[in-house]
Amino acid sequence: MFDWFNQIHWEHLFNPELALDSLPLLIEGLQITMIISLFSMLFALLFGLVVGIARMSKFKLLSFPARAYISFMRGTPLLVFIFILYYGLPVIGIQFTSPIVAAIVGISLNFAGYNAEIIRSAIMSVPKGQWEAAESLQMNYFQMMRRIIIPQATRIALPPTFSIFMDIIKGTSLASVITVHELLYSARIVAGRTYESMTMYIAAALIYWIVCVIIGYFQQRLEARYNRYISN
Amino acid sequence: MIEISNLNKKFDETTVLESIDFSVKKGEVVALIGASGSGKTTLLRCLNLLETPNSGTITIGDTTQVFSERPLKKTEKLKLRQYSGMVFQGFHLFPHKTVIENIIEAPLIVKKESKETLIKKGEALLDKVGMIDHLDKFPDALSGGQQQRVAIARALMMEPDVMLFDEPTSALDPQLVREVLKVIEELANEGQTMIIVTHEMNFAKRVADKVLFMDDGYIIEEGSPEKVLVHPEKQQTKSFLQLLDDEA
Ligand SMILES: Nc1ncnc2c1ncn2[C@@H]1O[C@H](COP(=O)(O)OP(=O)(O)O)[C@@H](O)[C@H]1O
Ligand SMILES: [Mg+2]
Repeated sequence: MFDWFNQIHWEHLFNPELALDSLPLLIEGLQITMIISLFSMLFALLFGLVVGIARMSKFKLLSFPARAYISFMRGTPLLVFIFILYYGLPVIGIQFTSPIVAAIVGISLNFAGYNAEIIRSAIMSVPKGQWEAAESLQMNYFQMMRRIIIPQATRIALPPTFSIFMDIIKGTSLASVITVHELLYSARIVAGRTYESMTMYIAAALIYWIVCVIIGYFQQRLEARYNRYISN
Repeated sequence: MIEISNLNKKFDETTVLESIDFSVKKGEVVALIGASGSGKTTLLRCLNLLETPNSGTITIGDTTQVFSERPLKKTEKLKLRQYSGMVFQGFHLFPHKTVIENIIEAPLIVKKESKETLIKKGEALLDKVGMIDHLDKFPDALSGGQQQRVAIARALMMEPDVMLFDEPTSALDPQLVREVLKVIEELANEGQTMIIVTHEMNFAKRVADKVLFMDDGYIIEEGSPEKVLVHPEKQQTKSFLQLLDDEA
C-alpha cells in the first residue's frame, strides 16, 4: 500500500505549468468545440421541432417516418453515425469537404431525434383545457400554438433541452476521432508530445466542466424567468 | 336567435345526444340541468364546436350549419363559433399571461384590434366583474372565484351573441360561488343571451327564463323554472330534484 503510494509521480498527475503553457492551444480547440456545438444545437432544435410536430400528426404519412427517425437516432451510437457519414458516404460519392461539417451534420441529425421527443412530450403535457380555451376563443391552430401552447411547452422543455445542449458539447469530443481539431484533439496532441496524459486530459475535462457550469447558470436564469408566473 | 333541430352526437358507437331540439330567443337565459353524464357538457361543446355533431342543424344568428358525417371545414367551424363564448368548469385561464393579457389575447390575435382600445375595453370589463385591482396578476395568484370571473370577462371580450356556461361554480369552494353567480346574474339582467349548465337550483329559478332537463342524451322536459323545477311532470326530473334536495 505504502509502496504504491510512494511510487506515484505526483508531477505527472497534474503539471500546472504544462497545463498553463498549453492553454492557448486548448482554447483554440475549445473555439472549434463551441462552433460545432452551437451550430449543431441550432440545427438539432429546428429539425427536432419539425420532426416532433410530424410525430404528433394524425397523418400516418408524417408520423410514421418521424417515429422511425427518432427510433433510429436514439438507438444508434453517435460515433457510429459519424463514421457512417464520414467514412461510409464516400462509397456512394458523398464526401464531406471538412470533418467539421461532417461532425455538425452528424451531431445535429442525431440529437434532433432526442429534441423531437422532448418537444413532443412538452407540447403534449400542456393541459387539454388550454387547447380548448384557445380554440373556443376562435384562435386557429397556428395562433394557438404560437401564443398559448409553445410558450407553456417551452417552460417544460427547458431543463431537458439544456441537458441535450451539454450532451452535445461533450459529444463533440467524438469528432476528434475524425480529426477535427477540437478541444479533446488539442489535449491529445500535447499529451502525445509530452507523455503527460493525465495533466492534459484533466485540463480538458476541467474546461468542459467550466463551460457546462456557465451554461447551467444561463439555464437557471431562463428557468426563473419562465417560472415567474408560478406562485408557490 | 338560436335554433337547434334534431341534433345527434355519438362518441364512437355510443350515442350521447339524441334528437335535441330547442330554441333560444335573444336575451333569454336558459338553464340546462340534469344528472351527471346526461350530455349537458357535450351539448354546450357542440354549440361551440369543440365537438362536431354527427347530424342535425344549428342556427345561430344568421348562420345555419347542417351536420353530417362529412368533417367540417375550418372556415365553417370558425364562422359558427364566433357567435358563442364558452366558460369552462375549470376556468382554463392562460397561466403565462397576466389577467389583462389573458382577456385581450383573443381579440388582439384573432381580430387584430388595437391594443390601446382593447386595454380600455378590458379594464371596463374587469371593473364590471370586480377584478380591476388584479389587472397585472398571474392567474396562479388568484382564487378560483377570481379566476372564473376573469374567464367570464375573457369570453365577453369577443362580444359573443350567446354565452355558454358549463357548471361555472362546480369547481369552487362554497364561499366563492356567490361572487361568480352574482356576475352571471348581472349579465343576465343586462340582456345577455346565455345557456348555463348548473346545479344551483335557486339561481336557476331566479335567473332563468327557461329550463331544459336532460336525461340520458334527451331533453325530456322543458319550460319555465316554475313548471320544470317546482311542478315537474317526468319521474326522472322529480328524482333528480329530490336528490339535489337531499344533498342540501
Ligand atoms: N370525449 C368523449 N369520448 C367518449 N365519451 C364521452 C366523451 N365526452 C363525454 N362522453 C360521454 O358522454 C356522456 C355525456 O357526457 P357529458 O356531456 O360530459 O355529460 P354531463 O356534462 O351531463 O355530465 C357520458 O356518458 C360521457 O362518458
Ligand atoms: Mg358536464
